[in-house]
Amino acid sequence: MLLCKAKVLRVEKLAIDCFSLLLEEKNLATGSLPGHFLHIRVGEGPAPFLRRPFSIAGTSPGEGFLQIIFRLRGAGTRILSRACPGDMLDCLGPLGNGFRPRENCKISVLLGGGVGVAPLLFLARRLKEVRERVVLYYGVSRGLEKIPVQNFLPPGVEINLATEDGSGGFAGLVTDLHRSHLQRGLRPEEVFACGPRPMMQRVAGMYRDKKVDMQFSFEERMACGVGACHGCPIEIKVGDSDTVFKRVCRDGPVFNPYEVVW
Amino acid sequence: MIDLGTRLGPLKLKTPFMAASGTFGFGEEFASLMDLRDLGAIVINGLTLMPRKGNPPPRIVETPAGMLNAIGLQNPGLDVFLSRELPRLQKSQVKLIANIAGDTEEEYVILARELCTAGDVLIAIELNVSCPNVQRGGIFFGTTPSTLSSLVEKVRRVCTLPLIVKLTPNVTDITEIARAAEDGGADILSLVNTFQGMVIDTVSRRPFLGNKIGGLSGPAMRPLAVRLVYETYASVEIPLIGMGGIEALDDALQFFMAGAAAVAIGSASFSDPLTILRLTGELKNYLQRMNLPSLEGIIGVAHG
Ligand SMILES: Cc1cc2nc3c(=O)[nH]c(=O)nc-3n(C[C@H](O)[C@H](O)[C@H](O)COP(=O)(O)OP(=O)(O)OC[C@H]3O[C@@H](n4cnc5c(N)ncnc54)[C@H](O)[C@@H]3O)c2cc1C
Ligand SMILES: Cc1cc2nc3c(=O)[nH]c(=O)nc-3n(C[C@H](O)[C@H](O)[C@H](O)COP(=O)(O)O)c2cc1C
Ligand code: FES
Repeated sequence: MLLCKAKVLRVEKLAIDCFSLLLEEKNLATGSLPGHFLHIRVGEGPAPFLRRPFSIAGTSPGEGFLQIIFRLRGAGTRILSRACPGDMLDCLGPLGNGFRPRENCKISVLLGGGVGVAPLLFLARRLKEVRERVVLYYGVSRGLEKIPVQNFLPPGVEINLATEDGSGGFAGLVTDLHRSHLQRGLRPEEVFACGPRPMMQRVAGMYRDKKVDMQFSFEERMACGVGACHGCPIEIKVGDSDTVFKRVCRDGPVFNPYEVVW
Repeated sequence: MIDLGTRLGPLKLKTPFMAASGTFGFGEEFASLMDLRDLGAIVINGLTLMPRKGNPPPRIVETPAGMLNAIGLQNPGLDVFLSRELPRLQKSQVKLIANIAGDTEEEYVILARELCTAGDVLIAIELNVSCPNVQRGGIFFGTTPSTLSSLVEKVRRVCTLPLIVKLTPNVTDITEIARAAEDGGADILSLVNTFQGMVIDTVSRRPFLGNKIGGLSGPAMRPLAVRLVYETYASVEIPLIGMGGIEALDDALQFFMAGAAAVAIGSASFSDPLTILRLTGELKNYLQRMNLPSLEGIIGVAHG
């Protein structure tokens, strides 16, 4: 974990209300793995008071570059979207436990809902080096929000797009698109997902009886980001009837969806 | 030679800057960013006799110049703390202060007795009689003078370490509560804990936090806290630890001048984990510039 200043190299608008930020910081770039996140201080003074967490969407360790992709939401993301090349961003990271792909495996499936696709782009790039097939499902509610994911992926990653407004790819929910592929015989050995909770819950439901390795990335409001304050709980089952609150920032953000109380 | 040391009755600290309970974990979370031995002390997260699960999410929400939290004292309980956490902390040579909360007087007494003999990494005990986020205990003891002095007296009998009582601002007259804690035998008072508050989610039309009510911390509460330290300083003899929204040296100086002999930094560590070390350096420069050999020259000076 580092506390450092990363240099803004480029801010790019990818879709409506959606931006990418290319940063330069050698140690962050080499230390980050898929599923890790950065806790970014977006203002100088007391506003915004807390840091903002963002998944790392990709790195090029050789050049010392790393990238995040974010959606406008409130004051913090608005300030970030106005960053200029040369600005220095105060970053804490890499934080959290990333995705842990299996040792031996041929087919990986990744499902991203909205900007939740960000950490999966990083993961897909790494997986493509060691898998026969990497199949990405990407869903957005409106076509206007669609980011050009192909630009962030190496050739060979299979991209399946679903738009709820029917403006591109499959018309409907990304989970329905995925279900139809399962019915046609797709047999993944591991499934990664990140997106709105209802979407992730539907994915988990689809695999209830199958012996497939599942790792989903979750979000919760964060203060410290490092495990000190217990501000970011997720309820996790222990045994048959008990539950505990784990910390999304430190024990996650990646969890097994069958251990999560939805 | 500038001396940053401060004396709070029986408690001597290397610097007057401590990490506030609940915001610095058991210290280790930040260990890779700094040498924790440079901190005056770390008040560790609130401990209870039995494990506490904590409140349902969401537990935090940002507010203008601050935040509300409703953690609900999530902690592993005394036994797990003693067997699993403490042995590791013991090796670190960091100065730790245990923050304890109970449902009953007996629970406070057991916690204090066990922790006082647990090892020399703990240098004091802080009674949390001010947590706004739990159903029983906590704040209940901190709002009635007679209940508080009775509790402090019982803990005092078993407590061999310096005893700090942490006050809540959620009372009509804090000086009355402060005197009750002093009468009970407290060595030091720390003030203040968070102010009770609420945020309503206008989309769901319900309180935002899982616990509905939370505690306000951060710069938003600073002037409120400075006033409480100022008034308390005038009504008790024992030393004070001040806190509430400290981010910059000037903030800390206000608390010193109001009468605090040390200060604690809480939620500022979330945006800048190095706040305490930065303030330590800045205080040294300030004292040098002012030609003051130590902090003593400014404690309470606002009272004229
Ligand atoms: C581990 C993790 C990874 C994330 N990765 C990404 C990403 O790659 N791209 C992206 O666009 N967003 C991501 N998010 C969500 C992102 O943190 C929020 O959208 C952002 O904090 C909103 O800030 P704001 O000031 O614009 O919004 P506001 O709504 O004004 O923020 C107010 C407060 O709520 C918090 N908050 C609001 N929404 C969320 C949320 N969904 N999750 C956590 N905290 C929230 C903010 O951090 C802030 O403390 C991630 C969240 C987590 C926990
Ligand atoms: C997330 C969080 C958790 C806290 N937990 C505790 C606690 O367990 N015990 C306690 O006495 N105070 C607790 N506090 C209160 C702080 O120690 C401090 O009194 C308060 O936050 C005011 O200081 P600040 O404005 O610098 O944060 C907590 C505060 C925060 C923000
Ligand atoms: S944000 Fe503090 S523990 Fe996760």
